Amino acid sequence: MATQHSRAAARLMISPAVLLLLGWMLIPLGMTIYFSLLRYNLLMPGNNPYVGWENYKYFLTDPAFSAAIFNTLALVGGVLLITVVGGILLGLLLDQPMWGQGIVRILVIAPFFVMPTVSALVWKNMFMNPVNGLFAYLAQFLGLEPFDFLAQAPLMSIIGIVSWQWLPFATLILLTAMQSLDREQLEAAEMDGAGPFNRFFYIVLPHLARAVTVVVLIQTIFLLSVFAEILVTTNGGPGNASTNLTYLVYAESLLRFDVGTGSAGGVVAIVLANIVAIFLMRMIGKNLEA
Amino acid sequence: MGRITLDKVTKSFGDIEVIPPLDLTIDEGEFVVFVGPSGCGKSTLLRLIAGLEDVSSGQIRIDRQDATHLPPAKRGLAMVFQSYALYPHMSVRKNIAFPLKMAGMDKAEQDKRVNYAAEVLNLSDYIDRKPGQLSGGQRQRVAIGRAIVREPAAFLFDEPLSNLDAALRVNMRLEISELHAKLKTTMVYVTHDQVEAMTMADKIVVLQAGRIEQVGSPLELYRAPRNRFVAGFIGSPKMNFITGAAAEAFGVHEIGVRPEHLQPSTESGMWKGTVGVGEHLGSDTFLHVHDTGLAETITVRASGEMALRHGDTIWLTPEADKIHKFDAAGLRVE
Ligand SMILES: Nc1ncnc2c1ncn2[C@@H]1O[C@H](COP(=O)(O)OP(=O)(O)O)[C@@H](O)[C@H]1O
Ligand SMILES: [Mg+2]
Repeated sequence: MATQHSRAAARLMISPAVLLLLGWMLIPLGMTIYFSLLRYNLLMPGNNPYVGWENYKYFLTDPAFSAAIFNTLALVGGVLLITVVGGILLGLLLDQPMWGQGIVRILVIAPFFVMPTVSALVWKNMFMNPVNGLFAYLAQFLGLEPFDFLAQAPLMSIIGIVSWQWLPFATLILLTAMQSLDREQLEAAEMDGAGPFNRFFYIVLPHLARAVTVVVLIQTIFLLSVFAEILVTTNGGPGNASTNLTYLVYAESLLRFDVGTGSAGGVVAIVLANIVAIFLMRMIGKNLEA
Repeated sequence: MGRITLDKVTKSFGDIEVIPPLDLTIDEGEFVVFVGPSGCGKSTLLRLIAGLEDVSSGQIRIDRQDATHLPPAKRGLAMVFQSYALYPHMSVRKNIAFPLKMAGMDKAEQDKRVNYAAEVLNLSDYIDRKPGQLSGGQRQRVAIGRAIVREPAAFLFDEPLSNLDAALRVNMRLEISELHAKLKTTMVYVTHDQVEAMTMADKIVVLQAGRIEQVGSPLELYRAPRNRFVAGFIGSPKMNFITGAAAEAFGVHEIGVRPEHLQPSTESGMWKGTVGVGEHLGSDTFLHVHDTGLAETITVRASGEMALRHGDTIWLTPEADKIHKFDAAGLRVE
C-alpha cells in the first residue's frame, strides 16, 4: 500500500529517467516531422523552403507506395504464418523424448544467432543462386530447369529467408509453453477418450494461445522493419516486387537523396506500425489477460 | 459391471522394479482404498489399472475381459487426479461435457447428463465459470462431475483430497462416501492417509514398496494386523511397540499395544512411567509417557478429565486380549 507521500517521492525519483526517455524519443521524432514538411534534397543545396503536405502527397501517390504496403503486409503475414505453424510442429517434435535432445535443440536455435545480412547472403549465394546454388544443383540432378528464386519469386524468397531466421525464436517460445502444460491434463483427456488429434486441438492448442500471442506481437514489431535481408538480396527489385515500407523510405532518402520525402515516408511508416499494433492488440491482446 | 482383477502384475521403470508380482481382486461395487507411505507405488498401481502406464508383465482383467493392452479410453474407467486436471480454458459445463463430446454423444443427451451431474454435486451455481474462478473444493467437485457423467465401470481416485484444507477434507470425504452409496459403482481410492482409508473403505489394501502387506476391511486390519508394518500404519495415534523383557514375558520377540488399549492409573499397574506432554482433545487426552523402560515413549489414551501433569508418575496396564504379538520377522503370532 503506497501512501500519498511515498507515491509523490516515487514520481520524483523516476522523473529523470522519464525525461531522458521522452527526450530520446521526442527529439528524433520531432526532427523527422520537421524535415518531412520541408523541400530538402541533398542534390539541390540551397534554402529549404516550407512546403506543407507536398512531401506526403508525393510519397503516398508514388506507385511504389501501394506496392510497398502490400509487400510489407505480405512479408509480415507470411513469416508469421510460417513461423507459428512451423514452430508448433517443430515444438511438438522436440517435445518427444529422443536421443541427443539437448544437441538437437541447440542446433534448432542456431539460425537465430546468425546476423540477418550473413544469413541472407548465405541463402542468396549458397542456396538460391541459379548457377552455383545448392537448389540449382538439386534441380539439375533431378533434370529440371534451375529456378532463379530472387528474380522470379523475390518476395517469396525473402519470406523464406526471414522465416528461417525467426523459426527458432517461435519454436523456442512454443516449446517452452508446451513443456509447461500439466501432464495430468493430457492424461485426463486421454482417459476422457480424446485421441492424439483431439488432445492437440482441445488441450495443447488452447494452452499455447498465450505463447502464440507473444510470438506474434514480438515478431510483428521486428518484421515490420525488415531491411538487411532485402538490401543484400534483391535491393527491393525487380522493380518494386520486394520493396517494403522500410526499404522504400531508405530508397527515397538515401538513394534519391530526398530527405524531405524520406522523412514523410518515415512518419507514414510510424503511423502504419501503430495502426497494425493497435489492431493486433485488439484482436489477440486479450489472450494476455487472466 | 466393475470387477477388476490383477493377475501377477509387475511394473518396472528401467531397472527399478516398483511393483513386484501382485495379485488383487476388486469386486463389483466395492470401495477399495490403496493406502501406504509416500513412494510405495500406489499411484503407479492405479495408473496401471487406468492404462496410463503399461504393465511390465501380468494381466489386468476388467469384467472378466483382458484389458491389459486396451488404451485408457477403452477400459470404461474414469479417474480423478490429485491436481484435478481440469481444462483451464473451458467452462465447468464444457469440462464436464468433454468426455461425452469425445464419445460423440448428441447435444441434448450431453446437456441432460451434465445438468444431472451438476445437480448431484451442487455445481449448478457456477456451471458457466472457468476452473480458475473456483475454490479447491469446487474444482474437486467438477473433477468428480467429469468422472460421473461417463457412467464408468469404476472410478479411480488418486489422493483427491490432499490439496484441500482439513475441514473441507472431512466434508469431501463424506460426500464421496455418499456418492458411492448412491451410485454403487466400484471405486478405487488412493491415499497415504490412514484416516481416509479407515473412514471410507469397504476394503483396504495396505501397500509397502509395491507389495501388498494386507487386504481386509478396516476393522479386520485394526483388530488383526498381519504384521508389524500394518499394525503401525493403521490406527491413530500409532500403536506402541515394545521389545525386550516386557515382550518376552508374553513369550514373543515384540508386542504391540494401541494407546486406547492401555489403562492409565495413578496408583498401580503393570508398567510405571513419567508423564510427558499431554495432547488434550477434549473427549480424550493422549499422554506421552517416558521412562517406562519399554520404549522411548509410550502413548496412552486417558479420559479427557484425567488430572495428570507433566512429571507425574503414572501406571499403565494393557488390556490382556488386545495385545498384538510379533515374532522376530515382524509377523503376527496368535
Ligand atoms: N515415470 C517414472 N519413472 C521412474 N520412476 C517412477 C516413475 N513414476 C514413479 N516412479 C517411482 O515409482 C515409485 C512409486 O511411485 P508412486 O506410485 O508415485 O508412489 P505413491 O503414489 O505411492 O507415492 C517411486 O519410487 C517413484 O520414484
Ligand atoms: Mg502418488
